[in-house]
Amino acid sequence: MGKIMKQSRKYLDPVLLSKLANMNLVAKCAVEGFFSGLHPSPFHGFSVEYSDHREYHPGDELKFLDWKVFGRSDKLYIKQFEQETNATVYILLDSSRSMSFAGEGSVSKLDYGSFLAASLSYLMLIQCDSTSLILFAERINKHIPPRSKRTHLNVILSTLQRNKAAGQTNLADVLHTVAETTKRRGLVILISDLLDDTGDIYQGLNHLKYLKHDVLIFHTMAHQELYLNYEGLIQFEDLETRAKIRTFPQSLREAYRDSVSAFVDEIKKTTGAGGIDYCLLDTSAPLDRALMAFLAKRKRMM
Amino acid sequence: MSFAGWIFLFGTLAVVGPLVAHMLAKPRYRRIPFTMLRFLRTGQTESQSRRKLRDIVILLLRCAIIVLIAMLFARPILHTKRGPEESRSVYYLGLDNSMSMAYSDGAGSYFGKMVDSAVEYIRSADDDGIFNVCTLGSGDWASGLSKERALAEVKRMKIRPMSTNVSEFFSALRATRNKERSSDISSVFVVSDFTPKTLKQFIAVEKPAAVDNTDYKLVGSRKPINNAAIVDAGVNSFADGKLTINATVVNYGQVELNRRLTARSGAGKSTSMDINLFANQRKTYKVQIDTDAGGQEQLFLPVQLSLSTGDGLKEDDTFYLGVSLPQRKSVNVLLADKGRGEMFLLRTAMDTLSRVNSYETLNVKQVLMDELIFSDLDWADVIVWSTITERAGEIAGDLKKFVKGGGRIVFFVAEEPSSRAAKQLWEEGVVAARPGRCFRERAYIEPRPCSSVLPGMDNAAAKSLANYRIDKIVLTGYLECEQHPESSCLWRLQNGFGFVYFKGLGNGTSVLVNTSADDSLGSLTKSNASVAFCRYLLGQTNQIGEYCFACDERVILPAHDIGVSSGGRKQFWVETCDGRKRQAGLAESFLLVPNPGGIGWVKTLSKPVRYAGVNLPEGETDMAKPAAEEVAKVMNRIFSPDGRQDTAVAEILGEKKRRPIWKMFAWIIILLLLVEPAVANRLKR
Repeated sequence: MGKIMKQSRKYLDPVLLSKLANMNLVAKCAVEGFFSGLHPSPFHGFSVEYSDHREYHPGDELKFLDWKVFGRSDKLYIKQFEQETNATVYILLDSSRSMSFAGEGSVSKLDYGSFLAASLSYLMLIQCDSTSLILFAERINKHIPPRSKRTHLNVILSTLQRNKAAGQTNLADVLHTVAETTKRRGLVILISDLLDDTGDIYQGLNHLKYLKHDVLIFHTMAHQELYLNYEGLIQFEDLETRAKIRTFPQSLREAYRDSVSAFVDEIKKTTGAGGIDYCLLDTSAPLDRALMAFLAKRKRMM
Repeated sequence: MSFAGWIFLFGTLAVVGPLVAHMLAKPRYRRIPFTMLRFLRTGQTESQSRRKLRDIVILLLRCAIIVLIAMLFARPILHTKRGPEESRSVYYLGLDNSMSMAYSDGAGSYFGKMVDSAVEYIRSADDDGIFNVCTLGSGDWASGLSKERALAEVKRMKIRPMSTNVSEFFSALRATRNKERSSDISSVFVVSDFTPKTLKQFIAVEKPAAVDNTDYKLVGSRKPINNAAIVDAGVNSFADGKLTINATVVNYGQVELNRRLTARSGAGKSTSMDINLFANQRKTYKVQIDTDAGGQEQLFLPVQLSLSTGDGLKEDDTFYLGVSLPQRKSVNVLLADKGRGEMFLLRTAMDTLSRVNSYETLNVKQVLMDELIFSDLDWADVIVWSTITERAGEIAGDLKKFVKGGGRIVFFVAEEPSSRAAKQLWEEGVVAARPGRCFRERAYIEPRPCSSVLPGMDNAAAKSLANYRIDKIVLTGYLECEQHPESSCLWRLQNGFGFVYFKGLGNGTSVLVNTSADDSLGSLTKSNASVAFCRYLLGQTNQIGEYCFACDERVILPAHDIGVSSGGRKQFWVETCDGRKRQAGLAESFLLVPNPGGIGWVKTLSKPVRYAGVNLPEGETDMAKPAAEEVAKVMNRIFSPDGRQDTAVAEILGEKKRRPIWKMFAWIIILLLLVEPAVANRLKR
């Protein structure tokens, strides 16, 4: 079992996915690779369309018992259905220049976010959820309205494939704009490095929460951003502001890590207090963690 | 701080190099696009300042290393202030105990007056003063004495048969003064008779000594000086057993002297003569002594010359002279030929030697071996056989008698010596080696004999043979010789066979030379080395030797044949002038005695006894009164009260003390060189 999981996880490796030119293939590969490594039963949905029967286990909800079968056979069976929802998911992908940072030997944050967005779109559209994609930097660059048709996936994926990192981050304004422009409440998935003023970001997120949206944040950060494992004299140049700092990273590594840790902790704490799900993603790690977080969130919404 | 080689301080300009390099240097770095600069900025100030600090520290370290190296070459000297100290009185007493101080004018000796003056000076000095007493004659230095000990030291002082040595006094004075405190008050007191020789040494002092107080006492006599001395003696001639000595006598006094000069040899025979000397007159007298030197052995004779008493100083009235006399005036050499003309080359060499060497007469007679008669043996001192023939065997007994009586016999060998005669001679012990088989092949002689000291041979001639490149002479053949158990091989061929064998028998000696007297086996007598070789074979030179030394000199005794009984020893015992047994080292053919122990005789304790005379240096007892003004002038010059003329001492006595600190600089440089890479690496992190 473990071997099978290990083999399937290779399809979630962002470096491997980055070598696939077709975003459709990327999404399919990632999602199916993810599912092939999981026990299938917990992810059966509950809908009107019959799927299968299974034996009752203590803890199952009694409303799903098939009383007709009980009447005929004196055995307790749970009736299972194909999952079918009409949830609306807004995927907000940060495309600012800071997202183009890749670190050493890794994919960029934008690519990682794109793979994640593609995988989520694929996953949702096969469940017939309406999926919307919003690409933003200083403002919203591209807004693909929510659709639940399978063909909508192609639109999303081609948009992601054409997307390039540009501009500075202005996340707070974008969140306000999204909150004001979305007519139907749903799940807002924010994929960003959150490199903006945290207070403004919280205001935007609170605005979404105020409108009854469920919010899931995928905080994508490169490994080097988290740990600063550089050596020697280095001139760091900011991708957005072009500011420069020349320093020996080894001399301030500890302080940097503390600052980043404090930053992440603050976001985690604030979002947790506001009922916002937060998931920190290291771009050097596989995508399954993000997908797992999404599915957990999706299940809670049911 | 000052610098001995300040010119090297220009080397500090080299710090410009690292300074310029620091200013022009651009750090090598990587450019990396990044996003989280706001988090980097938290530690950025510290990092930048740390980097700048590192650069500055390294720059300072490197500059410091360059500056320190330049200063090291400039030899820095640190001036340290001396702390306030209590002043002490330090006294330096230079007391003349040379032989001239033994002069007495009837009212007491100079030495006694000197001791009285010194005692008086010490008693008048501070009770807690420190005394340093130096004897100018013997050079003994007693430093750091208390008043009581100084008095005891002065009273214990004795006259030494030596000249004054002022330079030793000054060097000891300076060395002791270096240890003094700056607050000490130093006083010098010199007591001497200031004879011309002593005063000359004081005048020769170039660098004055800095002292606070100078005092001196000129010891002299109010009466006219009355002193004569034998200052030199040497052999004039030696003839018919009579030795004529030239004795030089000087009247150092101011009155006319009528004295009696006596010469006495070791045998107890003496000769006297009356002499008359005016004031300050120098005169040489010839004194003849009968030596009884008629025997065969070389005679070592102690000759003592003395003046009759009558002046104030008796130690210079005796002169000791060791004389070595030649064995005899002429040496009769008998050349015994096998055939006529065989010894022509050897005779020519002997004739040449007779003309050029120190032998007064070398009578050479050539006879045929078969015609040799017993009267020839009586006449000859040395018999040279061209080879061993039947005739030699026939008279082996007579030859033995000849050698035992002090004769010397030299055998050359031809290609076919008579084995029977050789056997007879061997049995009689006359021949040093028995010749055997003949080898007709080339052979070369070793350049030097087996030992540098060869008994019974002329060692100087052996040395000169090496100069004649005897090792280049080709012998066309040689014989295999069986060495006699009582003989020794003195010289060898390069192939290991013996060349010269030597045997002592009674008073005489027998020598065998492993080559022929003509050119049949060797080219030796035909070469330039033939004369020196003849001299070598005939034994020691017959020169007259004189052995007299000054008491401050190293004594050398002759030891030509001492190697016979030495058995390889390098140390020999001699009796010195003070009657003590001392060791003497053997060097070449001489015995060296470093310390004669006064004046008188130095002689060997083993027989034959050799003598060397030890006397006072000439002029030591010249009692001419010095001019008081001149003495005062000299003393005021060489002892400088303010010390300004003595820069070396003045620097030490100054307010500040100079201390070389280049070693400290060297250690600092080494430390910095170790620290620099450590600091650079540490700060890079």
